[in-house]
Amino acid sequence: MNTLYYAPGACSLGIHVLLEEVGQPYEAIALDLRGGAQFKPEFTGLNAKSKVPTLVRADGSVLTEYPAIAFWLAATNPAAKLMPADADGQAAALQFTDHAVSSLHMQAFSRMYRPSNFTPNEADVDAVKARGKELYEKGLAVMDKALQGRDYLCGDYSFADSALFYVSFWWVERMEGTLPANVAGHYARMLARPAVQRTMAAEGLA
Amino acid sequence: MKLIYSPGACSVGIHVILEEIGLPFETQRVSTRDGSMHKPEFTAINPKSKVPTLVRDDGSVLTEFPVIAFWLARANPAAGLIPEDLDGQTRVLEMLDYICGTIHPQGFTRQFRAANFARDEADQPRVVAQGKALAEKYLSLLADEWKGGEWLLPSGYSVADAALFFIGNWCARVGITPPPRIAAHYQSMLARPAVQRALATEAA
Repeated sequence: MNTLYYAPGACSLGIHVLLEEVGQPYEAIALDLRGGAQFKPEFTGLNAKSKVPTLVRADGSVLTEYPAIAFWLAATNPAAKLMPADADGQAAALQFTDHAVSSLHMQAFSRMYRPSNFTPNEADVDAVKARGKELYEKGLAVMDKALQGRDYLCGDYSFADSALFYVSFWWVERMEGTLPANVAGHYARMLARPAVQRTMAAEGLA
Repeated sequence: MKLIYSPGACSVGIHVILEEIGLPFETQRVSTRDGSMHKPEFTAINPKSKVPTLVRDDGSVLTEFPVIAFWLARANPAAGLIPEDLDGQTRVLEMLDYICGTIHPQGFTRQFRAANFARDEADQPRVVAQGKALAEKYLSLLADEWKGGEWLLPSGYSVADAALFFIGNWCARVGITPPPRIAAHYQSMLARPAVQRALATEAA
């Protein structure tokens, strides 16, 4: 059985959704990030990077990094149809995932959420947040264009949609942002999925 | 196949991979310094204004270092740049994402582009120092968790080594002394003919 270490509402939300989509039994353990649980030896022994999502697999081996966990879950559960079958389609799914995780999350959201990590000067905080907002909007525009005329990023549903889902969730719920039309449609379709609804309930976000 | 790169940028890792594969490819140089990546000629190809950008033979465009590296390795199995098994491939992807998603943007971007992090020039040395401290922390973690031998992963040489190479290249540039494991890895990479060819093209 896989064990997911997550924090409610963190980016691990997307991996939590994928585990629900897969539908096999798994364990989910919430970490108290505000209380610093990710820096305690019990956790750093599993993942020295002190990050969620962290997946401990049935054989005890540990997998980190959102795109790698998402790809592995999709590849090991072909019946769940969480990625295209061909290498080209898989590259497309990874590309959208990396754009969500590396740009929208780590560049845009992090600037808005933790601006003091991006500048040593308190006076710059508003400028950092504004830059984060600009990057967020630019990143969402790329996703909006990709969704033109399709329900999901790769056409059919894939693990990439879980990554867009969590950055959309943050934009709407944490930043009070308005999603561009196609991304808003995607977000609504995601919220309608039973796996997403179960995940939101489990993380106390529903 | 055409690689759009900027000399010395992270795209040098993809340049190395294309040299390792050994099939013909074209290169197009852009500069990360003169704003050419934000001009319409380039944003029409990659609206994210980033290198590496790969234009494939069918004209389709691939972006994001980990994705380009992973796709090139899987599309060219004879080059032996990724393990054949799923678990081995997942470990390569995990490493690519850590190097390109954390070590590069968190550790090195602060050092190269301090002005993006602090408007007041007087604050910029602190941004550089923070970037350097983060880079050193990430590199220690990588060295402590090292499971490979000469190469990064126990499965052998892979596209993940090409990613670590661009980091090694930058350590020299910003004056970071990497842990011995990583310094030795950089030397091993420099000895590879494919690396030498990529560096020569970018220096020309």
